[in-house]
Amino acid sequence: MTSTKISFRFMFALLVTAFSIYLVFFLNPDGALRILLNLLTFAGIYGLSAIGLNVHFGWTGLLNFGHASFMGVGAYVTLLLMPHAAGREGEVTTTGLPFFAALIIGIIAAALFGLLLGLPAIRLRGDYLAIVTIAAAEIFRLLVRDLESITGGVYGIINYTENFQKYRPLFIDNFSGNLGFSPSQAWVCLAAWVSIFFTVLLLKRLTNSPWGRALRAVREDEDAVRAMGKNAVWLKLQSFMLGAGIAGLSGVLLAFNYGSLETTVFIPLLTFYVWAIMILGGVGTITGPIFGSIIFWVIISETDRLAYLLFENANGQQLAGVRFLLVGVLIMFLMIFRPSGLLGKKEELLLDVK
Amino acid sequence: MLDQLGNGLLLGIIISVASVALSLLYGVTRIVNFAHGEIIALGAIATLFFSSPLDYRVLFLEKFSPLGLNFAISCFLAIVVCGLFGGLLEVFLFRPLRKNDVGNIAVLVVTIGLSILVRHLYLLFATGKVQNFPLELQRRQTYLFFDMTPRNFNVLIAGIIVMIIVGLLLTYTRLGKAMRAVRDSEELSSVSGINSDNIILITWVSSSMLAGLAGIFQATINDVRWNMGFLILLLIFAGTVLGGIGTSFGAMVGGLMIGIMVQVSVGLPFMEGHTEAKNAVALAVMILILLFRPQGIFGKKERIS
Repeated sequence: MTSTKISFRFMFALLVTAFSIYLVFFLNPDGALRILLNLLTFAGIYGLSAIGLNVHFGWTGLLNFGHASFMGVGAYVTLLLMPHAAGREGEVTTTGLPFFAALIIGIIAAALFGLLLGLPAIRLRGDYLAIVTIAAAEIFRLLVRDLESITGGVYGIINYTENFQKYRPLFIDNFSGNLGFSPSQAWVCLAAWVSIFFTVLLLKRLTNSPWGRALRAVREDEDAVRAMGKNAVWLKLQSFMLGAGIAGLSGVLLAFNYGSLETTVFIPLLTFYVWAIMILGGVGTITGPIFGSIIFWVIISETDRLAYLLFENANGQQLAGVRFLLVGVLIMFLMIFRPSGLLGKKEELLLDVK
Repeated sequence: MLDQLGNGLLLGIIISVASVALSLLYGVTRIVNFAHGEIIALGAIATLFFSSPLDYRVLFLEKFSPLGLNFAISCFLAIVVCGLFGGLLEVFLFRPLRKNDVGNIAVLVVTIGLSILVRHLYLLFATGKVQNFPLELQRRQTYLFFDMTPRNFNVLIAGIIVMIIVGLLLTYTRLGKAMRAVRDSEELSSVSGINSDNIILITWVSSSMLAGLAGIFQATINDVRWNMGFLILLLIFAGTVLGGIGTSFGAMVGGLMIGIMVQVSVGLPFMEGHTEAKNAVALAVMILILLFRPQGIFGKKERIS
């Protein structure tokens, strides 16, 4: 692969992304900026999660379909450690850790959950691992829903956003006031994209390090890695922990964007959203999911309107169904016709069970 | 406890029928079919579509509905529709993928996309309402130890008969033998004069018909929902894995065990007040089985790591 060819791909991805953002302005003559902020916030959070998933699937070849649970562990641990209100009665907890301490513990918890889920990964072939991870994610969700006294169950957690919003710098308020944004969402959006920036920086360092090369070697040929005296099992577990930690961070951001947290956020469809973004952007790339995420969310947010035109007597649940339907179509078509996505390289894909 | 055992048997027989279908398909084609649940839901939704009486305009497709056919005929038609759907999937989607040497994992991701697509088509056209078959309510009666309605008892018996028939067909007919031959080696069976494309097509059709039947059972005992297939899919995976993926007899027993496990766990002392978590028990059992005996109870040892 010559460098000119890579930069051509990169330019193409950039163009498609720019075009999709232009589309938002074109389709929404008024209020485009507000829609764009909402879209970019979700794109940042999901993109971050997809970057984590790419460490699992793209780099190491681990077929992880339980990504929603990593996001969930990060979000629940972080929120429960801070002052919040939870459950049917809205039971208030006033004591707690400051935001950054809770966030770090949350990310570590997500990484440890990744370690736990990674243990079967040592023993199982790809398709079995897919079943195990999706089942484990459902177990997590069912347990969170069931343990109402701690997690608030179906009633969820509320009144926690202030822990994060009190760090909001003043310039965001000024800036948002002028453009008609919600300042709290603008702050979450900024945090998401700053997180992406540093995560990408970290992963760029890692991918060129001996560790990153060994990890990709695990995907290509595990036995060769063993023969070189590297511990393939430990490498896989480290990959699981790294990706899960990134997902945990994105889960926390997602919780702050919603303003209240329920277990229904972490249904398997969340995982499939992240998968669609990763495949669209490019499996095995670092920056691919960022482009993928923006394009994905433009498609998703503009579909609602299209659906409304096509099915005039459908209700809200059905209209929301149209966007999921589109996610399904997107996953199928990409996987059949362009499994490497916008930026990925076909020869770096692991698509067959070894 | 006995009540729960009765419920467990009912759930078990549904999972069992669906697991056999999934396992058959996996055995012959090596496809882990995440869209299996959607074929199950198709069985139920099609039956509802054919059998809704004239004053029962609930489906989004009300230009065509209601047909108001006899219930048994509706079930039969629904199973035919499921078989047709499975056949079309094979001919237009999975056969081209196989001919182009698309890898197993790519096909697995395609079935996930397919499942999401089809499920939300149901939501769009069959609405998100929870619906019931147009059947009259029945009183519970006692059969041996179990209290259940005559209809549920019939479902239980029908399920057992279907299992026996499937088992006999697989073991003794030429078709069953050919299926097992293709499962063992597609190339070798082609050499010995078996048209493996046809066998795979027949497998898709029969697996889908069985799945549709499981859907009709499920909807008769409970209700029809657009997402009923996805709700039960993980339990079906659990049943298949428990018995040994790819083995039909194992899937029967595994499915039955998972069904009983789910319903009986509700009655256990430490589960009191935690009925929501009953499915988690079955899934946890599945993960443990995969960790310590990945070939399942009846599976042959093969390298799966």
